[in-house]
Amino acid sequence: MPDIDLHVVSPAPDGEFGAKGAGEAGTAAVVANDVTTLIRRSMSLSLKSLYRQGPWSRRSDASDRSFRKYQHHPRRIYMAKQTIRSNSISRRRLLTTASAGVVLAASPFRINLLQAQEATIKVGFPVPLTGPYGAEAQDQVRAAEVAIAEFNEGGGLNGRKAELLVRDDKLNPGEAATRTLELIEKDKVNFIVGSLSAAVQLAVNNITKERQIIFNSISQSDIINEVSDFSKYTFHEALNPHLTAGAVGRYAFPKFGKKVAFLTADYAYGHEMVRGFQEAGKAFGVETLVDIRHPLGTADFSPLLPRIQALKPDILCIINFGRDQQIALKQATDFGLKKSMKIIAPILLYTARVAAGPQAFAEVIGGTSYYWGIEDKIPSAKAFNDRFRKMHAGKVPSDYGALGYGGVKTLLMGAKAAGSVEPDKVIVAVEALKFDYYKGPEYYRKCDHQAVQSVFIIESKATPQKGDADLYDVIATEEPNEKNLRTCEALGHKS
Amino acid sequence: MNELSQTLTQPVVASAAWFEFAKRHRAFLASTVVLVFPLVMPFTALAVNILIYGLYAVGFNLLFGYLGLLSFGHAALFGTGAYLCGIAIVHFAWPWYAATAMGILGGAVMAAGIGALAIRTRGIYFAMVTMALSQCVFYLFYQAINWTGGENGLRGINVRTIDIFGLQFDFINPLTRYYVIAAFVILALFALSRILASPFGAVIEAVRENEARARASGYNVTLTRLITFILSGAFCGLAGALMALHLSVVPIEILHIETSGMVVMMSLLGGMGTFFGPFVGAAVFLLLENLVSLWTVHWQLIVGAVFVICVLFFPAGIWGTILKRINP
Repeated sequence: MPDIDLHVVSPAPDGEFGAKGAGEAGTAAVVANDVTTLIRRSMSLSLKSLYRQGPWSRRSDASDRSFRKYQHHPRRIYMAKQTIRSNSISRRRLLTTASAGVVLAASPFRINLLQAQEATIKVGFPVPLTGPYGAEAQDQVRAAEVAIAEFNEGGGLNGRKAELLVRDDKLNPGEAATRTLELIEKDKVNFIVGSLSAAVQLAVNNITKERQIIFNSISQSDIINEVSDFSKYTFHEALNPHLTAGAVGRYAFPKFGKKVAFLTADYAYGHEMVRGFQEAGKAFGVETLVDIRHPLGTADFSPLLPRIQALKPDILCIINFGRDQQIALKQATDFGLKKSMKIIAPILLYTARVAAGPQAFAEVIGGTSYYWGIEDKIPSAKAFNDRFRKMHAGKVPSDYGALGYGGVKTLLMGAKAAGSVEPDKVIVAVEALKFDYYKGPEYYRKCDHQAVQSVFIIESKATPQKGDADLYDVIATEEPNEKNLRTCEALGHKS
Repeated sequence: MNELSQTLTQPVVASAAWFEFAKRHRAFLASTVVLVFPLVMPFTALAVNILIYGLYAVGFNLLFGYLGLLSFGHAALFGTGAYLCGIAIVHFAWPWYAATAMGILGGAVMAAGIGALAIRTRGIYFAMVTMALSQCVFYLFYQAINWTGGENGLRGINVRTIDIFGLQFDFINPLTRYYVIAAFVILALFALSRILASPFGAVIEAVRENEARARASGYNVTLTRLITFILSGAFCGLAGALMALHLSVVPIEILHIETSGMVVMMSLLGGMGTFFGPFVGAAVFLLLENLVSLWTVHWQLIVGAVFVICVLFFPAGIWGTILKRINP
């Protein structure tokens, strides 16, 4: 019967495809290891998997091209037979489906059919626990736990306790969006705090604003303040590149000189930071000698450094992150660049400095939103650090970690002030807050909900004296001032 | 003795009949599974992801499992569908259905472009050429910042309500969103089943089985491959468009080489060349990743171990192995 859909397992496939595939896979030494293994695996699998015998051999017999004609007829008969048979089968199918359903309902994958309105205030916390920023993200979780504990000890919101729901967003905007949907739709969270990359926070923000859930972002981005992405549900506790780069520039340009060379990672973060430096530099008449852009993950900067040396800048501004930053600073030190120019960076990370050791970072100047050493001068920082040390075996919070605390704390205190978790009431309350929770006075600007806050200028110590956590000297503090942010009009807001 | 053998053969006959029935109505059965699926998932957004990645894997499997060509650049087709659907909504304010159609078209056109360049190569060379071309597509979209948002991704694909024949559906509601997307997936499954059951579907498999013989029988092998690649692109483009509608953002990671690798993994895990296997693969892959990462930050270790076990003990894939057990 020339039924097209008949599945017959042929004894063995013709070797051509498999044999050829295997041979070619052998030549693929140039490809990354795992890729080749995968291809090899799939090639050999192609031999083993189910093969169906198509009617092509029969078709060559049937010399004409009117397949349809002879296909239709027997199929109808077949279908007719099928309907007679299907009675008993459908009952069986019903039973199988039903029993499978029962098994699954009893399994851990079961539905949360009745998710009763729980009394706790739920704070969703999607951060990249795995991936290159895992260390920062795990510290953010630790700090957020401190904020939750403090809120609950203070009696919560009329007895309503808060709860932190941590999710791993894997530093991937798609995964972060999915996790945010889970937190909103299944866990019914009241607030979302988190994210550790510009792209991730913009993805999360797009989801939360559609669903009218308050989101407090704790990583750097300029775009989230702009009218295209902003909504009244969007808050930004972190610094933004314009503010950070501006603060470092305003400190460095008058002190070290006007001729600046940039060495920049070629992606959004780098571009926004360069723009921030250049705008701050206008007031000082700063001249950009060169802006060298390198791809992410550059392993060797030695071809670029002599070029910078020859231009004789007063300041070399290295704008990159993580391992790129470590390598660039180490090689700049080895080339002796520190002798003839000052090296600055927009952000000096606590974790990066711990990983790289003191030598490469020595005497480099940069900005940060938080460094635990400010506790000598700022009582709220002292209180936060002590609480953190107590909860987490004597550790001190890192810069990005502290943002986790600030992000959660402000929303919970806003809820407390509003006496409710209604988004609209909390928004009004948070807009009205003037607070000092961990780093000195702070408030949210009304038009874009950007946290107006101080920026600390820090210099890396060449020889730490007070233990492992003693990394930086705080050499200046830029006090909170709206003038250092882009104006509301420039961001496209009306007010 | 005779009686014994009769009682032994009895269930085999029944199961063979069942198998025959299931094969004939594979699209219908798959749709039934799709309809009850969100009820057994930990959360709906994951169910939607599985549905979409399942469709993506099904589209990939048309090329990989049925035609026997391993492409390492399918992210380009998936991503183009997502980006074009998103751009149509964000920049041109097109209605959602037109944008979805745009996604399908985009996937198909991109496949035609890549296919025209790559289709004459085979084996490892085909994989490498498609991979290289998909990297080109990545940079194309990465650099077109005004259209795609570049590094920050495309945001603002906000579809609140969906009109179908005058009926309004709340697209923010998770279950509604699932069933609207499921409707598209089911349509695609029926379309695919029809394609595979058609004479053309038979030619696809003929080319895989023995190219020289198919050519000798008078078939245009190159054209068959190209058309299959374009069809595969249309399915992947649809999956991409649904992804854009579902997440309301399109991250640049969608065009990343990892997205290409992931669909190969899903197809192998589920069972290549089986109708429903890619869905099973996508479900197992995403469920594992999501559930294990809730318990431990070392989820990659556990997920990796499960993959190794699957590849070692179920070389035909999970679904492929089940099919063999039922009907050896």
